[in-house]
Amino acid sequence: MCEISRRGFMVGCSAAIAGLAGSRFNSLAFGAPGDQDVLLVVFLRGGMDGLNLMPPIAGADRGYYEAARPDLQVPVSGQGAALPLNSQFGWSPDASPLLDLYQNGSLSLVVATGMDEPNRSHFESMEFMETGTPGVAHTPTGWLTRHLQSSVEIPEEVIMPSLSMGDLQPTSLRGDRETVNINDPSTFSLDTGPWLWRGPQRAAVRSLYQADSTLVHVTGNQALDAVDIIELYATGEYTPSNGAVYPDSDFGDHLQVIAQMIKLDLGLQVATLDLGGWDTHEGQSWVLSSLLADLSSGLMALYTDLDGGGAQNFTQKLTLVVQSEFGRRFAENADNGTDHGHGNLMMVLSGNAAGGIHGAWPGLAPGQLFEGYDLAVTTDYRRVLSEILIRRLGNNKLGLVFPGYTGYQPLGVVSGTDLTPDYKGGPGSTIFADGFESGDTSAWSG
Amino acid sequence: MRRHRLRRTDVDTREAPTSAHQARAAALERTYQRATAMRTARSAGERSRLSTPPPASPGTQPPLAVQAWNRLAFGPAPGDLAAFDGLGPDDDVRLTALVDQQLDPGSISDTACDAKIAASGYTTLNKSLSQLWADHVVADVEWSDRIRPLVETIFVTLLRGVHSRRQLFEVLADFWHNHFSIYGWGFYEAPTWVHYDRDVIRANALGNFRTLLEAVAKSTPMLIYLDNYLSSDDGPNENYARELMELHALGDENYYGTIPRSQVPVDGNGLQVGFVDEDVFAVTRALTGWSLDADPWWDLETGNGGYYYRHDWHDTGEKNVLGQILPAGQAPEKDGLDVLDILASHPGTAKFVCRKLCRRLIGDFPPETVVDAAAQTFLANTAASDQIARVVRTILLSSEFRSSWAAKIKRPFDIIVSSLRAANADLPFIEDHPESESLDWRFYQTGHYSFAWHPPNGYPDFAEAWVSSGPRVMTWRLTNWLVDYNWTDDEYRIDLRAETPAGVRSANALVDYWLDRVLGRTISDSDRTRIVEFMAQGHNPDLDLPLDTDDDVQSRLQSMVGLLFMSPEFQWR
Repeated sequence: MCEISRRGFMVGCSAAIAGLAGSRFNSLAFGAPGDQDVLLVVFLRGGMDGLNLMPPIAGADRGYYEAARPDLQVPVSGQGAALPLNSQFGWSPDASPLLDLYQNGSLSLVVATGMDEPNRSHFESMEFMETGTPGVAHTPTGWLTRHLQSSVEIPEEVIMPSLSMGDLQPTSLRGDRETVNINDPSTFSLDTGPWLWRGPQRAAVRSLYQADSTLVHVTGNQALDAVDIIELYATGEYTPSNGAVYPDSDFGDHLQVIAQMIKLDLGLQVATLDLGGWDTHEGQSWVLSSLLADLSSGLMALYTDLDGGGAQNFTQKLTLVVQSEFGRRFAENADNGTDHGHGNLMMVLSGNAAGGIHGAWPGLAPGQLFEGYDLAVTTDYRRVLSEILIRRLGNNKLGLVFPGYTGYQPLGVVSGTDLTPDYKGGPGSTIFADGFESGDTSAWSG
Repeated sequence: MRRHRLRRTDVDTREAPTSAHQARAAALERTYQRATAMRTARSAGERSRLSTPPPASPGTQPPLAVQAWNRLAFGPAPGDLAAFDGLGPDDDVRLTALVDQQLDPGSISDTACDAKIAASGYTTLNKSLSQLWADHVVADVEWSDRIRPLVETIFVTLLRGVHSRRQLFEVLADFWHNHFSIYGWGFYEAPTWVHYDRDVIRANALGNFRTLLEAVAKSTPMLIYLDNYLSSDDGPNENYARELMELHALGDENYYGTIPRSQVPVDGNGLQVGFVDEDVFAVTRALTGWSLDADPWWDLETGNGGYYYRHDWHDTGEKNVLGQILPAGQAPEKDGLDVLDILASHPGTAKFVCRKLCRRLIGDFPPETVVDAAAQTFLANTAASDQIARVVRTILLSSEFRSSWAAKIKRPFDIIVSSLRAANADLPFIEDHPESESLDWRFYQTGHYSFAWHPPNGYPDFAEAWVSSGPRVMTWRLTNWLVDYNWTDDEYRIDLRAETPAGVRSANALVDYWLDRVLGRTISDSDRTRIVEFMAQGHNPDLDLPLDTDDDVQSRLQSMVGLLFMSPEFQWR
């Protein structure tokens, strides 16, 4: 009798699995009430200029903004004028699709988010944010890894709990041994080598990787599982629903794959993807404009694609968060660009979003800027993510996901049931007891 | 003691203050607390956790020849392991001889590789910077002509990796390209790539770090990639200055964030032990005017494509860099040159650069002892023209080098090149050649394509970054393509039967022969048995297979070697 389980499910089961190819796993509880959302984390690499995505359009802050950004400002009237968000803020016309989502209440905005870490390094900031341990580099697991480890037990029949789109698995999923990491499902296949021996070679390579539990072995099995999953389920043509049109870009392609995976009901819980290129030290206008267009048309396409009626209403099961490692310097530089800054905008897109603008706006007066240069941080980014963990994903184990973080209060970014946060690290905390520290290889096999 | 334990209580947990004033006051207080904590942590050497032990390695220590050829080379080619044994009476003598030979690449005849390069018909590799600029930038050529210097460098890098006998030089060229990483596909970066690879990276790969640092600072692609060519007193651009400190010299392990300079510890020579944003701003000012030849300045195509210093753009005021004062009104260029002097001779730079070299040549988590030894060599030889060679020698001849097998996994480029070397393959690496283009595309899909990492920190050099399913599967797909049949030319890409001695025909013998070629060592009995079973396909493994008459047996041999390239043991070095 062949059991379908996530790890090594192909062994001895190929006929049974093959029979399921292309079909939905309707037996999974994806659509059932009470189960958890798919969390999709979009990371804008390089430091997105939130001040030009959501510029002030009125009051004293508008004056400071125009003075700080004589050439890069989003105007309040005329060509390229900011679209009105409310009386205080506007929205870049390059990102108008997101404004539509904001206006229909699906998009929540959180201003002036970031880390307390006084740090303007891309690489340290991303490391800190994605490990979920600000100030501590080289934490062996990412925050999403620890979320997956600490949330309700993932059913055995879940085929693909987590997916990362792109060349490499991101730091937020560092150390996760079940993630499927792919760039392009159409070429993600073991379809080379002398054809006569492909099957036997594959069986042989599987058995070599099952023979031990070192890092290379465990992750080799993970890769073999991933290729089985993609070959069996995700190589077919995909037609977006509801007339959604994805941008012709890597970002659009990656979003489309995620939509496909969500609809295939493989049990997806977490997905990640990146959009890079936001480090606009020079010539920002054109770059930011095209990036915002890619971002906003992509997210709009995804939302439209998933926003069907009845059983096709996947947006009720989607929580998407957009973050970046930091914002940009308030004042533009002389090269039509901006250098590294501090506080920034986070966005949450969901059928269960509360909509609206959240967080305390720190102001742009000279005395209000972080160190006199940058938008200050008033909301810890972990607060936003913790609210999603608790209200949308039912995981209150903040002590495991964000060690050291306490005092959580919801901002009201999404709807959902509040749970008492559990701040305990305790045994099983992968940060404080792991293979990196002990040198114990057995930790790698978990 | 571990840094995170200390920091755990240090993480601020307060929620959003109700006013900006409160936010600012709270931020200042936190900054002060954090600075205190960081000082304590860093003085205890806990800034990075890189000295923690790696996961225990599988298998046993291989022969030193195997270890050496996997560390200071892209794996052994036929004959390399045997040649090692001929270098002296014992391993100490042999390793020293090999390292000294490899550190003097001019002494190694490389005529076969040179001949392959000559036969490949590259047209840009011998052009000077001004020629590259004239032919590929100023001349209004099509994109494919514009980027040819980059494309040919990508191909010749593969060719040299496979065929050059100066393997350590190739390993270090790869290392420095990653250390001073530039995304090569930029509008001006691609046409000047030959210059960057040849005149900057390779010219200094075994030379002096200070010289290399200045060559990078003044190189056309770096000036453009990190915007310093635009940076002036009126409009400073801190992009390059920040990465110079964080990525090229002192490293992120010596970054103290945005705290005040006065809170950074000072060493015995009065220098700050690390840098803060104030230093980034000072270095930015010191490097204003380091620009490119052009008149008017904004029309680069009016120039020769080379470095040009604009004193009228330079901020001549006083600067404080790591506690050292650069007085106002210094001679042209001197501020910037002083900065490079300070950085290149700083103990933090020595430690950071040496840790990265140890990470490449030894393991992800090199012992602090070898990092210290290498940093001592680095600092004792700051004026030596072969400073880097001396540092590398310290690392390769250390006891830590010899006692650490399987502390690294191969990245996709390493796997591709080591497969081709083990198989004695002779593939074309030529633009527009269909086989080369196919290889090129498959290489791109591994996620480790040459000169294609967008941010300036270079491809990660930790196992954890490369063990996910993306690079694993796409690399397996590539190595299986290497052993596959080429239907266009009606032949195997690599004819492994022709590479197998005539007397080797049984499944047992074939597997043992190719295990020795590909791995140079034995593997567990159970793994070997599994591979023999694949090769035998139910036949008695001691009986000769009809390899010379049965096409299916040859294709099985091809597939078996492909299996070795996919095997766990081949992923380690």
